Amino acid sequence: MDKIKEPSMYSTRDLSYDFLGIHFENPFILAAAPSTDNLDMVRRAFRAGWAGAILKTTSVEGTKVDLCYPMMSSFDHEGRKLFGMGNIDLISEHHIDKVEYNVRMLKKEFPHKMVAASIMAGRKEDWQSLVERLEKTGVDMIECSFSCPQGNIGEDPGKMLAQSISATELTARWVKEATKKIPISIKITPHVTDIVEVARAVKRSGCDALTASNSIQALMGIDIRSFAPNPNLGGKSTYSGMTGPAIKPITLRTIAEIARNVDISILGTGGASNWSDAVEFMAVGAGVVEFCTVVMHYGFRVITDLKSGMSHYLDEMRFSSPKDIVRKALPNLAMHDELPRRTVRSHIDKKLCIGCEVCYIACQDGGHMAIDRGSNRIPDVDQEKCVGCGLCQHVCPVDSCIGMQVAA
Amino acid sequence: MTRIKQGSIQKKEPRSVIRVYPQGLRESVISFPNNTMNQQQATIESERCLQCYDSPCTVACPTHIDIPTFIGMIRSGNVIGAAEVVKTSNALANTCGKICPEEIFCQSVCTRAKQDSPIQIRELHFYATQMESRKGFSRLKVFSTIDGAVAVIGAGPAGLSCAFELTKLGHKVDVYEKDGIGGVPRNSIPSFRLANDELESDTNFLSRFFKTRKEDVNARLFEEIRHHHKAIFLAVGLGVDRPIGIPGERLKGVLPVLQFLHKAKIQPSVLSIGDRVVIIGGGNVSLDAAATAKRLGAESVVLIYRRSESEMRVWKSELNEARRQGVEIRFLTNPVAIVGKSEISGVMCRHTRLSKEKDESGRRVPVELKGSDFVIDADTVIVAIGQSVEAEWLEGFERTENGYVKVNKNFHTSVSGVFAGGDMVAGEGTIVQAVANGKQAAHTIHEHVSKKLR
Repeated sequence: MDKIKEPSMYSTRDLSYDFLGIHFENPFILAAAPSTDNLDMVRRAFRAGWAGAILKTTSVEGTKVDLCYPMMSSFDHEGRKLFGMGNIDLISEHHIDKVEYNVRMLKKEFPHKMVAASIMAGRKEDWQSLVERLEKTGVDMIECSFSCPQGNIGEDPGKMLAQSISATELTARWVKEATKKIPISIKITPHVTDIVEVARAVKRSGCDALTASNSIQALMGIDIRSFAPNPNLGGKSTYSGMTGPAIKPITLRTIAEIARNVDISILGTGGASNWSDAVEFMAVGAGVVEFCTVVMHYGFRVITDLKSGMSHYLDEMRFSSPKDIVRKALPNLAMHDELPRRTVRSHIDKKLCIGCEVCYIACQDGGHMAIDRGSNRIPDVDQEKCVGCGLCQHVCPVDSCIGMQVAA
Repeated sequence: MTRIKQGSIQKKEPRSVIRVYPQGLRESVISFPNNTMNQQQATIESERCLQCYDSPCTVACPTHIDIPTFIGMIRSGNVIGAAEVVKTSNALANTCGKICPEEIFCQSVCTRAKQDSPIQIRELHFYATQMESRKGFSRLKVFSTIDGAVAVIGAGPAGLSCAFELTKLGHKVDVYEKDGIGGVPRNSIPSFRLANDELESDTNFLSRFFKTRKEDVNARLFEEIRHHHKAIFLAVGLGVDRPIGIPGERLKGVLPVLQFLHKAKIQPSVLSIGDRVVIIGGGNVSLDAAATAKRLGAESVVLIYRRSESEMRVWKSELNEARRQGVEIRFLTNPVAIVGKSEISGVMCRHTRLSKEKDESGRRVPVELKGSDFVIDADTVIVAIGQSVEAEWLEGFERTENGYVKVNKNFHTSVSGVFAGGDMVAGEGTIVQAVANGKQAAHTIHEHVSKKLR
């Protein structure tokens, strides 16, 4: 049972808007993952306030889901748990009949929530029968996994579908052909030479959207005494799909690169853990944001802060809808040769400086030897030597102590 | 994202210079008084919170603030959301954030303490409410309205909390208070513990939700209030210092503690206490008085208490703070007379020992030792042995053995339709307990009034 909370006494802001022809109560939905594989879990998520869920990926009848355990692993960065989360999970073990039942129940009980299914198959007829069966259940959208990083079902084992431009276009076309009216999103991987080419292939296929992007193929760690990789399955392991805060910058770049070049709707996913991450995803082109790892870590309850934080952000920015955020940052992205060339120098606020001299070491050994020790452990910037690289301000432990000073 | 920095530092520089910071200019450079956390410290501390399920901190908080949720919000940078969570459960949020004895409530049960050290919950709470009062209060939703008004007598923590909760439940509320609103935090908590503006952040927010009538309630007015309201909540606190009942009590230089603290707060300049001050009593109020006397310039401040340290019902942090300031604490010392001619010159004391017998409070009873009398020289004696609730219009109310107003579990007094809470029903307690009382009472009053309406 969830705890009973005191009702809020504050006026709540409407966060709803339409995207892909679907009404979203707010921009926050659950990604296809263990959290969406069970009817009761999704029910609890909806009651907690999530706008929608993409049910865990399902496939055709008779496909054996050959799982092994443990499947989860963690990249703990110097004390912080689950900075990156690894999994060697596969698709849902539920039969397609069960997924159809779940969709029907959820749409009946929660008609205002977005309920999507995620599918994966190999042959044309399998893709198409999945779409046809699911569309009849009243599902709002179908997401097609072209990018599960392990145990892919396809003609080319070990390779993800979305790593082939031609296979992506062909398969996406099959899916779209079989669809009557609901939107189709293709979930892609950032593990490609040129993400824009993949996005263009999806666009050509006629599919409505991209889900960008799937987990990052990773080796989660090696036990340096036994040499067993993580997760440890009797001394053996394999590559994981990594998610969580560690991959956020990779996803941001993927979304931005697609949004800058291809006119297609994007569902952002991969590393967003809070409302401000979601704002960033939307600012580079995502229409809604899918969450998974933060929910697996802290539970469905994080939706409370996602909604509250987004509401206060919109108030502060005087935006009328979350839609106003979408693509806001794209005009500010430029190619390297288009960036301004200016005179930049480091400036240390001596009143805020606590005298650790970490910037001194960094500049000595990794910068331009432009920081002097000064007096009383308060460093001085040598204006002649400083080129304004900015390393010092990122190693400084005090917020806003070191600024990069620019002659405007 | 890099953002162009704005704000205070820029003013001093020529206009042609801009500075860029990795997070924008974070609010860490804004320093609050009284060592409040800055944004960076709050973020780092909130990151330590385990976000445990069925969190013991929330259970331990008398007002049951949803602590993991508000800490999670500070972590994500949603500080206004955090303040909203705090205020939803605790109407006197900023005041409690400043002075709540966390060591006996939330922080004492923090799960993280089993791993290393507890989360500084009160500090994070105060950070959130301070930030909110700086940025402006969030808009409340429109509350439903119910016919007829409820009266609250006394605008201290319990009264204010009850009045606000009743407003949330849809009642019109009239608050009667002879002084300005704020009660104990306003009148007798020393300003070094709670600054006026810290309390006012709460009272300014709350006073918009009900009518305040600045009237001293008497028997006639009380009947009138009863006539015009569906129910009454009494929360007048403990206004009267208990007399000590030893010779010399009326000498010049003997001050009841509430009078002393109130004067020290509003007109410290006219308060002349001399160099040597003796405080009689071993509670938190005595410690406040001792620390205040030190701050007013007394050279020697001696606190005498008839039992030993382990029987003292005080917060350790305050006891340590008093000692740090140089207050001398003499245990097992009982005052027998205040000596002096017209003005006092000292306190005659007698040593005590603790017998095996225990009193109703479960503490060992002190017994005076014959022939151990001695005098502590003093220019001022502050009597802090407790307070009582006295008013002629309260005569018809049943009392407890200790003289407090008796209520049942629904906060209902022996008089129909009249409820009571806070110190006047339980004796000297914490602010947060009074706030919790007021909130709970509001719900039983709501039920009572709703039944009447049906």
